[in-house]
Amino acid sequence: MAGLKNADDYSSGERLKGGGLLSIVSLLVGGGAILIFFVLALVFPQEQDGVARTDGMAYSWLFAIVFFLSLGVGGTFWTLLHHASNSGWGTLVRRLMENLGFTIPIVLVLSAPLIIPQVGFRDALWEWFPKREAAIEYAEKKVDGKLLPKYRKQVDDEAAEAQSKVAKVEKEKAAIANITPGHARHFDDKIKALKKKADAKAEKAAKSDEELREILVGKEFKHKEALLYAKKGYLNPNFWYVRYFFYFIVLAGGIFILRTASVKQDKVGGSKIFRDLRGFSCAILLPFAVAWTFLVFDWLMGLDYAWFSTMWGVYLFAGAALNSMGFLILVLSALRKFGYLTSVITKEHYHIMGKLMHAFVIFWAYIAFSQFFLIWYANITEETKFFLTRNTGDWNFYTIGFLVIGHFFVPFLVLLVRAHKTCVPIVCSVAGWNLLMHVADIYWIVIPERAVTLTGGAVVRIPGMWVYDVLAFVGVGGVFIFWLVRSIQSVSLYPCRDPRLDESLNLVN
Amino acid sequence: MSAVSDSSEELFGYIAEFGSAAELYHAAEHVRDSGFKKWDVHTPFPVHGIDHAMGLGKSWLSAVVLCGGVTGFALALILQFGTQVLLYPTVVQGKPTNLYTVPAFFPVLFELTILFSGFATLFGLLIFMQLPRWNHPLFNSEFFKKCTDDGFLLVIESRDPRFKREQTKEFLTEIGAGHIEEVYS
Repeated sequence: MAGLKNADDYSSGERLKGGGLLSIVSLLVGGGAILIFFVLALVFPQEQDGVARTDGMAYSWLFAIVFFLSLGVGGTFWTLLHHASNSGWGTLVRRLMENLGFTIPIVLVLSAPLIIPQVGFRDALWEWFPKREAAIEYAEKKVDGKLLPKYRKQVDDEAAEAQSKVAKVEKEKAAIANITPGHARHFDDKIKALKKKADAKAEKAAKSDEELREILVGKEFKHKEALLYAKKGYLNPNFWYVRYFFYFIVLAGGIFILRTASVKQDKVGGSKIFRDLRGFSCAILLPFAVAWTFLVFDWLMGLDYAWFSTMWGVYLFAGAALNSMGFLILVLSALRKFGYLTSVITKEHYHIMGKLMHAFVIFWAYIAFSQFFLIWYANITEETKFFLTRNTGDWNFYTIGFLVIGHFFVPFLVLLVRAHKTCVPIVCSVAGWNLLMHVADIYWIVIPERAVTLTGGAVVRIPGMWVYDVLAFVGVGGVFIFWLVRSIQSVSLYPCRDPRLDESLNLVN
Repeated sequence: MSAVSDSSEELFGYIAEFGSAAELYHAAEHVRDSGFKKWDVHTPFPVHGIDHAMGLGKSWLSAVVLCGGVTGFALALILQFGTQVLLYPTVVQGKPTNLYTVPAFFPVLFELTILFSGFATLFGLLIFMQLPRWNHPLFNSEFFKKCTDDGFLLVIESRDPRFKREQTKEFLTEIGAGHIEEVYS
């Protein structure tokens, strides 16, 4: 307790002066990689390993975009949580969270090729775009034109027939004079059973055309097409673009407001902005969660429109929160290595960040396992296909090696020891390891669908395509690093006039 | 306890009051540095870093919890694999009866690990704190109740090898204690 730090001594903040070279190099490398990527994809489209190369490269681009977007989303999440829970421990690292979150706009801008149909990525990734029209047309032509009237007549006939059977038996009963009680009971039981049948038929005949069509589509269509027809309201191009716009507004707009207000507070001080941001964060948390959940529904779950998992949103969220915390630890340590923040950040901050990382390792594993477990145990065809693809061939070793052992057991056991969470080299190693596993996780989500979709399920892996995955990763990553370094350079490294700076400076846990 | 209340001549220790959390913190550092072992501090609220000032090391409780967790995990493993795979292979839902059925056992593995860790935490803590017990000599003092209100108290027990009736009292005054009270058991 000796030598409490006074926040007034730190109110001028600290600025990153170096980093110019890093930002220029990463921009050149990233820009170059993106240029080569799109020249290959658009100017020289050709066959490779039996599929169109441009189609295969669409998956590479989606993989890179989702990975870097998830880091930004995690950064935004921690900022929101920090404000909403009125936390004091992390005021010193909050600016890094804001800067990490501020990469969302640039990554979303880089996602433009995915939504512009002329690039060809959209239709290669999401089968439902090219197939939707045909499925609806088929449904309406065949079902509405021919099958539905026929089916309506069949249902009506069946209802009438069942009714006439009841009438016939009732007539037989009435025709017998001096009926014995046993005989009467026999007829009553028969009439009761027939009436029950007739009621069920009548109920079916009373259904609207819409309802009958649903039944018919299920009967007549091949399974997948029926699902696409049933989901036509949600899987609808115009609605899809509206949703994309919503994601952009909520994710990019949210972090823009948070960061701008926080930077303004560095100049004006006081507690008004701090309080306003708390209210704003509470209000934006729900739309933020909805935006990210539906973004991953649309972009990742939509890779196979027949598949669904109700845990998908929280699964991707867990990975994003875990690995953005790891990324923050790495950025923080890199800054400290070059002499920044050394007087303010202590082992206590590392300890808390290590604890959060540990908690989210467990949370991620809990969600990932639950998702697998429920699907594996229920064994329903629509659901198991996701894991069947990823358990076939080489992917099985990949799944167990990277996701089960690498993503859970290794960081879990290492971070279990308290001393490891305060030891900077160990925390940084685990953070770096987790980031690698996160790359493997996103790769595992996106890439197996490429072979299955493009070859119609003939193979589960297209061998030569990994080059484009690396190229896309380097391209988006380069621009991401450039943008992040510029954001960090442009403002103070920590919110220097935040009312809770005192608390963070003298953190003990 | 009440039956022997008249034999009140045995000194349990001193309760010394300090003016603030900061004063108590520094006093604790002094007591730590003079090598006392059987002593404690009592405050109305948690004081950050007081464990460091008192020279307390890391608690062994986590080791007990680890043992509990490992026991629970092993027990669940034996109970499930032993009964469902080795002794009487049971096919449920077409799932295999070998190593590949392990996902089905995970919920129980997880829950028993947590349950036994929880038990180990609770009972380990009770044993380390020597609880439950009927009474404690400190409760003989009315003054001690201040630590639930506004008192920052430091207690040195007479069973500490370095405890000496006169010198310890002087020492406490020296390090800034206000009121000092003797407690008898």
